[in-house]
Formats: sequence, structure tokens, C-alpha cells
Amino acid sequence: MGQIVLDKVTKSFGETQVIPPLDLKIEDGEFAVFVGPSGCGKSTLLRLIAGLEDTTSGKVLIDDEDVTQVSPSKRGLSMVFQTYALYPHMTVRKNIAFPMRMAGMSEQEQEAKIKAAAESLNLTDYLDRKPGQLSGGQRQRVAIGRAIVRDPSAFLFDEPLSNLDAALRVGMRLEITEMHKRMQTTMIYVTHDQVEAMTMADKIVVLQAGVIEQVGSPLDLYHRPQNKFVAGFIGSPKMNLIEGVEAEKQGAHTIGIRPEHVEISTTEGLWQGTVGVAEHLGSDTFVHIHGVPGCDPMTVRAAGEFSVSHGDTVYLTPNLALLHKFDDKGLRIE
Amino acid sequence: MSNRSLPRLLQTPAVILLLIWMLVPLSLTLYFSFIRYVLNNLRRPEWTTPSFSNWRGFGNYEFVLNSKDFLFAIQNSLLIVGSILFCTVIFGVLIAVLINKSFPGQGIVRVLLISPFFVMPAVNAVLWINMILDPVLGLQGLAVNGINDMIAGLRSTPVLGAFFSLWPEFEPISFRATQTSAYAVIIMVTWQWTPFAVLIFMTSLQSEDQQQKEAAILDGAGAWSQFRFLTLPHLGRPIAIVVMIQAIFHLSLYAEIEIVSRGNGNKNLPYLIGEFANNNIGAASATGIFAVILANIVAIFLLRMIGKTLME
Ligand SMILES: Nc1ncnc2c1ncn2[C@@H]1O[C@H](COP(=O)(O)OP(=O)(O)OP(=O)(O)O)[C@@H](O)[C@H]1O
Ligand SMILES: [Mg+2]
Repeated sequence: MGQIVLDKVTKSFGETQVIPPLDLKIEDGEFAVFVGPSGCGKSTLLRLIAGLEDTTSGKVLIDDEDVTQVSPSKRGLSMVFQTYALYPHMTVRKNIAFPMRMAGMSEQEQEAKIKAAAESLNLTDYLDRKPGQLSGGQRQRVAIGRAIVRDPSAFLFDEPLSNLDAALRVGMRLEITEMHKRMQTTMIYVTHDQVEAMTMADKIVVLQAGVIEQVGSPLDLYHRPQNKFVAGFIGSPKMNLIEGVEAEKQGAHTIGIRPEHVEISTTEGLWQGTVGVAEHLGSDTFVHIHGVPGCDPMTVRAAGEFSVSHGDTVYLTPNLALLHKFDDKGLRIE
Repeated sequence: MSNRSLPRLLQTPAVILLLIWMLVPLSLTLYFSFIRYVLNNLRRPEWTTPSFSNWRGFGNYEFVLNSKDFLFAIQNSLLIVGSILFCTVIFGVLIAVLINKSFPGQGIVRVLLISPFFVMPAVNAVLWINMILDPVLGLQGLAVNGINDMIAGLRSTPVLGAFFSLWPEFEPISFRATQTSAYAVIIMVTWQWTPFAVLIFMTSLQSEDQQQKEAAILDGAGAWSQFRFLTLPHLGRPIAIVVMIQAIFHLSLYAEIEIVSRGNGNKNLPYLIGEFANNNIGAASATGIFAVILANIVAIFLLRMIGKTLME
């Protein structure tokens, strides 16, 4: 079990309020991802749940039990840190055993659990090494191993992959997702990488300055962003937001169109512009176009190879059915 | 000239200077330790100038080994150094951990804590032996008198009087006595060098990884476990540094021993060297060589021990 509920939780450091009153419910077995720009309070929120920070007001409930005043170790949560936070003087085996040792578990039981964790994380060959002798990915696996053996009711991850290189990150992302599918334990995962958020989450929580902008499934957020912030934050490359005459034509203050929902042509279209930079990825071409009224530059994604070069004139046609409209407060208009 | 030899050539002056720096005193000491060399001898005036014709072989060493104070001085050196190391490391760790937490007045407390280190050793010894440890005029004497007076007063109270009349009169300890003078030195040097340990441990504690602590808290480690499994191993290296540096310094303690009891009941090798050097330079040099050997043994032993217990 691991249902986590935040009830009007606030957090202030001295005078500055980092988290204004916030309500959130994470269901048992759910993979929830907190995303948001740097400094928006993702880590703080996670630490409040873990108990490493005290709430200024409000309640934290785990499985309907008020744990606001319960010490971190009694909450039954495991946390994986960005910097791994392994104990440098202990071998991998001792690192993984540490929480069990603190809980006074018998040696045999410890050994069995270490073995199981090491096997599932491919660490069997490294059990007698110290953290300093491991690669970044291996270290992160040890940290996860240390989290698993406690049989927590929920896992908390604070940007666990951001110290790894791109290739490893993709691999570890899959491993963590598979681990979640296998264990069906609640996981809360903090990241500012929206690809991680989109690929891993059952539920994404978008935060800005401590305020929840939207909660929903990845595709929900992609198709129906509730406001301009979410629209601009979710999706890569970013949604094009257009203001002015073009928006008013659609009866909105701002309209948004994703780069993949604009058709680009060298001969005809609704809007005209000149090519700035074209990024050729092979599978796709991202073209940055200047001169479209109300949006400069506009990014367009063309499938496959699309050969244009700097200064060429191109024509764009948005798919009007997939247009997002926002009012003058930045909220979505249906 | 090959491209290796130019750097070598440029290094040579420094290397030669260093060699001279170390080798000249050492070879002179070795030389003196194998000849008869005294400052004053009316019967054999030729012994008063160093010369190979006064060759004595291992005679000086034999003389030192057989002198009644030699073994005692070695034992006492080890006792003093060992006790000081033990006390400064324990107090140093405790105080460093204590003042690592932030509290009001932290800056002033830290400066005050460091200040004993800036007192000169001789002043430190005079201060302690006369003003604090003195059985009559020092704080110790006053405190013991105060306690005795208090007990005397309590004897006349109705109910508890009978109980307190069973108590003995306390005697102040004379720290200049043969049996206690070593402890006086241990106390005053510990006081002086604890700040050094605190300073080193404090800087190390400030570089301790806070996320490791948080991970340990989540893993269910209490304050003691965090100290035992995280802080203490983290302090392993600084403890080794403190122990090594202090061992080197305290093997050559002199001023404190001289001031407390003029070597009465409390000698170490440097003090013995000093006594021999009043006249017998040959014996003093032989003792010096023994001191070098002792320092090396202690250093190797400490390195091994610390390496084993703390780095793991
Ligand atoms: N101990 C603290 N004292 C004062 N302010 C703090 C403290 N910890 C965090 N803050 C502030 O709270 C805000 C949120 O910080 P937090 O670490 O939660 O951001 P984040 O979303 O995790 O950012 P990042 O993506 O960079 O990790 C920041 O503005 C930060 O300056
Ligand atoms: Mg953070």
C-alpha cells in the first residue's frame, strides 16, 4: 500500500513561502512525476513527503494515516538522491545492507535480500567494491538497491538520472519503469527532463513557483494543456504560441500549435516565412522560421528529410483541428 | 642534452640544499655518538675536542642503554604521547561535533576554543602548574578546600550529618610530585592541543555530505549510528593527520617537563638528551639516535594502526 495525500501543505523558508497551500493525491501503485522549471519547489515537495523537511502548515497522509509529525524513517518511504548519497566507506554489500542493519534484521535475511536485489539490478559482481570504484550508472543502481531492500510503501526519486550521460539515462529510465511495472509500488519521481516525465509517468504533476499548474496523464497534458505554461512546458520542441492578429482570427488571446502539427511546404500555405536554422536529425527536421506574424521564430517539425537552407522562403499551414486557444489570462478556451 | 636532463639539472640545487639540510645534522650526530666527546674533563682534556682518535664504537650506546633513566624515559615518552593523542582526539571529535551545529555566538565560541593553541608552551606550563594545579594557591587547591569546607558544614546538619561524617577529608594532589608530574604534563598539553584537533575536525565536518546524512536518516539510522557509521569514517583521515603531527611534536616535549618538575619522575628522551648534553655530548648524541629510531617506530606503528581501523 502507498497512497500519498498532501492536504493544504505549505512550506516557508524564513519569510519566503516556497510552497503555497497545495493539495495533491497520489494513488497506490501510481508512477507520479513532478516536473517544472528549476527552483519551482519539486525537491522541496519531495522532501516534505519524505519528512526531511517539516511542513509549515497542512498535513501529509500516507494510507490515510497522518504522518506529518512522524519521523522520516517511520514513514516507510525510500528515497533515491541525485548525488546517489552512497556511504563511501562501505562496500556495495554494506551499503545495501545498511537499512536492514539499522532495522535489526537477521544476517541470513539480509543476505537473501542483498542477493535478490543485486541480481535484479545486475550488481552481483560488484558487491565487494566501494562506491568510488563504480561508474555513475552502477552507483545509481546501488542507491536503488538500498531503497528496494526496505520494502517501502513508496519510492521517492529526486532527479536520479541527471548525473548520467544520455545513453545511460535512456537505459536506466527503462529499468526504473520496468521495476515499477514489476513491483507495482507507488513511485514519485522528480525531474526537469520532460522526456522522462512523458515516458515514465502514469500521472504528471506540473509545478511552477510551488503551484500545481496541472495534473494529468502524459497524453492528457499533451493534448489538453490547461494553460499557456503547461502548453509551453510539455512537448519537445516547444509549442509555438502566437499572439495578435492571427490569434484574434481564432477568437482567442493566444493560440498554440505544436511544431508537429504544422505542415511545411516550399510552394503554398497559410503563412509565409524565411528559414533561419534547419536542424536535420535524420528521422525529423526541425525548421526555425522567421517572419510569421505574432511568433518569432516559429518551430516546425517535418518528418524525414526536408531540404531547405538558410534564407529560403517557406509556407506553413497549421492543422486547425489541433490548435490550442488561450484567453488573456493564459487559460485554455475549449 | 636530452629533454630529461635539463629538468633534473634545474632540480639539483634544491635537492642538494635539502640533502645538506637533513644530512649534515644527522651525520654530525652519528659521528658524535661514536666518539668520546665531553665539554669538560680535567683528567682527559683531549676528549673535549671531537676527533676520530677518540673513537668509542658503540660505547656511548652501551652507556646510554645501561643508564638508569633510559628505559624509563622511553616508557614515559610513550605514556605521555599516547595519553595526549588519546585525549586530544576524543575531546577534539566531541567538541567539533558539538560546535558544528549552528547556534548563537558560534563565531566567538570558535575563536575562544582555538585560543589555547596560541599560548606559548612554557607560558602554558607555568600557568597550569602555578595557577591551576597548585595544591595550595591554584584553582585545584581552592576547589578541594571549598569541597572540604562544604562537607565540614554538612556534618553539623541534623539528619545527613552522620552520613557526611563518614566522608574523608579530601587531599589536594601535588602535581610536582614524582608520581604525578607526568599527568600534569599530559593535562596541560591536552588543553593546548585539543584546539588543533578541533580545528582540523571542524573543517572536515563541514565538508561532510548532507545527502548521505539524509539517506541515513531515511534508512533508520539514529544520531549515534550516523556518528558511528558516517561521521567517524569521514573523520578517519583527519584523525590520522592529527595523530601523526601530534606524535611528532609531543615526542620532543621539553619546556613543560622542565617547568613542572625539572625531570623529577618525568623524563622523556629529549629531556634525557638535555641532561647528558650538560657535559657528555657523545652520550647525548647516542640518545638522539635512539630518539630518531623511536620516532620512526612510533610513526610506522601509528600509520599501520590508523590505516587498519579507520580507513576501512
Ligand atoms: N534550505 C533552504 N532555505 C531557503 N530556501 C530554500 C531552501 N531549500 C530550497 N529553498 C528555495 O526553495 C525553492 C525551491 O527549491 P527546490 O530545491 O525545491 O527546487 P527544485 O524544483 O528542486 O529545483 P531544481 O530543479 O533546480 O532541483 C528555491 O527557490 C530555493 O531557493
Ligand atoms: Mg531539486
